[in-house]
Amino acid sequence: MRRLLPLIALLAAPLAAAPRGDEAAARATILQRFEAALHADVATLDRLLADDLEYCNFRGTCQTKNEYIGEVRSGVLKYLTIEPVVDRVKLYADTATVLGRVSVTAVRSGEERSVHLLYAGVLAWRDDRWQLTTWASTIIEPQAETKSK
Amino acid sequence: MKMRRTSPRNVPIVIATIAAMTMLCGNSVAKEPAQGETGGEAALRAAELKRFEANVTADARVLGEVLDDGLEYVHSNGELDSKQSFIESLTSGRRDYASTVADIESVRILGAVAIIRGKARVTVIDAGSSRDLHIGYTDVWVWKDHRWQMTAWRSARLPDSPVK
Repeated sequence: MRRLLPLIALLAAPLAAAPRGDEAAARATILQRFEAALHADVATLDRLLADDLEYCNFRGTCQTKNEYIGEVRSGVLKYLTIEPVVDRVKLYADTATVLGRVSVTAVRSGEERSVHLLYAGVLAWRDDRWQLTTWASTIIEPQAETKSK
Repeated sequence: MKMRRTSPRNVPIVIATIAAMTMLCGNSVAKEPAQGETGGEAALRAAELKRFEANVTADARVLGEVLDDGLEYVHSNGELDSKQSFIESLTSGRRDYASTVADIESVRILGAVAIIRGKARVTVIDAGSSRDLHIGYTDVWVWKDHRWQMTAWRSARLPDSPVK
């Protein structure tokens, strides 16, 4: 058996390269971050969002982590309902891509709006947890909605 | 759980089990590229500009190389294309990009995944008339088969876009 150890180590090498965060945890992170946004839970958002987050919303504006959390904390951005779906998660060592869709009703600067979005997120495994490092979404206009389903 | 010493006759089973786990693992998780293999930011910028150019020239061969088979391409109106439907829309002329001028604002590489963010002025020919769009975009690339391939595209029309 001892003579076989090098062979076993060789065969098992890719296992060591597997990501430390799995797909289920990546999905959970995305859903938790929606939940935290809905409840303006900035402590949870702070834990789930990476310090180098680039958060690009459906209006084409990109924000840093501090800018996004600041809007949620101050109430400039207040979520009323969030209905997320995670369609696809793909793992790459210590990174994961997440694609999905979400229906959101929110009040921004006093104006309420409901939108359907297709989103892409990139998670990075840091400090023993998945952290959202990229977020981008596109609004689904009514005429495109049928084609996107 | 009771653990037992592996007997010699069980050794083939142990090896087969590890081999199977290894194969499964290799299939489900993309590997990290070797250091220096990806060409870094310059290679990504080049791939991005090559892709925009291929959109305009409807070059299916180039697009076949730079787009990931699992591509999810969401146009700025929310219309969704796969790799196959996107290339087909260009080669058939159903979608016609007259020009694209891109301004890449940031490139980030996280192992086998890269994110490019930027803005682009796009002119599309729609039913014989041209439409000008100014969009902000984020796209996600993955390192597969020894090259960068775009796997996700998200864009949004900016407030100053001629077509809202």
